[in-house]
Amino acid sequence: MSKHYDDILSLVIGKIRSTINEDWIQDFEIEGETRFNTDLEIESIEFVKIADAIQAHYGTQLDIVGWLSGKSIHELIGLSVGELASFIAGAVPEQG
Amino acid sequence: MARILFTVPPLTGHLNPALAVADALSRQGHELAWAVHAAQIGDKLPEGARVYALDHGDGADPGIAAPQVRGLESVRLFFEDYALPLAERVLAPMEAAVRDFAPDAMVVDHQMLGGALVARKLGVPWVSQVTTSASILKMSPVLDAWVAEQYLALQRRYLPEDLIVERPDFSPHRVIVFSIETLPGDRHARVDAPYAFVGPVRGEGRRQIEFPWEWLRQDRRKLLVSLGTVSRDRDTRFFEVVMEAVSGMPEVQAVLVAPESLAASAPDNVLVRGYVPQTELLRHVDGVICHAGHNTVCEALSCGLPMIVAPIRDDQPVIARQVIDAGAALFVRQGKVTAAAMRTAIANLLGTPSLADSARRLSQELLAAPGAPGAARIILALAAAAPASLELA
Repeated sequence: MSKHYDDILSLVIGKIRSTINEDWIQDFEIEGETRFNTDLEIESIEFVKIADAIQAHYGTQLDIVGWLSGKSIHELIGLSVGELASFIAGAVPEQG
Repeated sequence: MARILFTVPPLTGHLNPALAVADALSRQGHELAWAVHAAQIGDKLPEGARVYALDHGDGADPGIAAPQVRGLESVRLFFEDYALPLAERVLAPMEAAVRDFAPDAMVVDHQMLGGALVARKLGVPWVSQVTTSASILKMSPVLDAWVAEQYLALQRRYLPEDLIVERPDFSPHRVIVFSIETLPGDRHARVDAPYAFVGPVRGEGRRQIEFPWEWLRQDRRKLLVSLGTVSRDRDTRFFEVVMEAVSGMPEVQAVLVAPESLAASAPDNVLVRGYVPQTELLRHVDGVICHAGHNTVCEALSCGLPMIVAPIRDDQPVIARQVIDAGAALFVRQGKVTAAAMRTAIANLLGTPSLADSARRLSQELLAAPGAPGAARIILALAAAAPASLELA
């Protein structure tokens, strides 16, 4: 994976930790494969808050909710942190 | 006298409200029948009840499995592995039952889709009964579209094209919700339907359960901790976290509805019981820690008790959010919460007067709701307004 992706993955993980803001998540190992539903017990309302925090960081050119609406229920259940990072990596320009 | 046919899935939480409504109707002399899975719940029906069995007797009737799943996955499994196959399998015996009994109206649980389709096909007036305040809300565009697609495929196999609708589980006549309107609130869009909120009904058939009342101390703040019957034996981590949290709080006593094997490691101020007389116990405690199951939430709120909610599956995350938004609950993450965070949550639960104030406000509303007799009146009005339009071949 590129440095672009790695930087974004770190940012996404940071936003997950700061948005959830509970003691366990500060030490919980979050990787690309970590899934929102099963591994983090994150519900859709919380996911939207995380998406908003990421959106606020990049400005308004991201449409995370729109991206999600194209997914099947099976894909939503298995959605991983890395998939979200990949979407963002494709949507925001690499910083030179 | 009216002829009313009830149909519910073989699940206690859906049967109990129907039993309470049926009781109100039969006291007035109306003639009732049940189209249910007799092998699973026949023994819970009133003595002498007229029963049309929906069982196939081949051991393949769908059951609720996979107790370990949580969140969205439990919702998908519920539809794919339970509600939809169940509907498909009951259509033929259900239609035969309705033709035989010729009801003036049907009471169809909204998860007993087969009953809804038969009522629609045969033109019988019917009400939906909805057992939680979560099921009337739209979910998300993806989920709602997925559910509609599942329903569409089922309807196409059974109904003529002009009778197909987007949400066949909701009656166009009346949808009776066993909750109060304040819980769903107006923050989220609802499925468009003619709702009547009648409040919770007290379930019937509660066994006498012994409890060591002398263990409870006047000079302690007391908690009831329950994850409900489905998740009680899921894993012991959550209960262990509660025990560790409470062990450092000598001013608190907690009763855990949990596997009794945990009793050996329980601190002095924790009592572990496999079963408790919940309704009565709630009158003796100051707060509740629960999974946000609709029944437990309504029982606790009816007693004016604030709660900590740790939702796991099905509609629990939505109900948890509703009680939090109503100001009567705090959230903890069921599979992740630490003892330190649980201790903070318990201290906040017992030390925040506004939580108890909100719970008491909701309790007034819950106790004032018309309940099962109110539901019975709605059903009778429908049966009387629309004389049987059955054209039985």
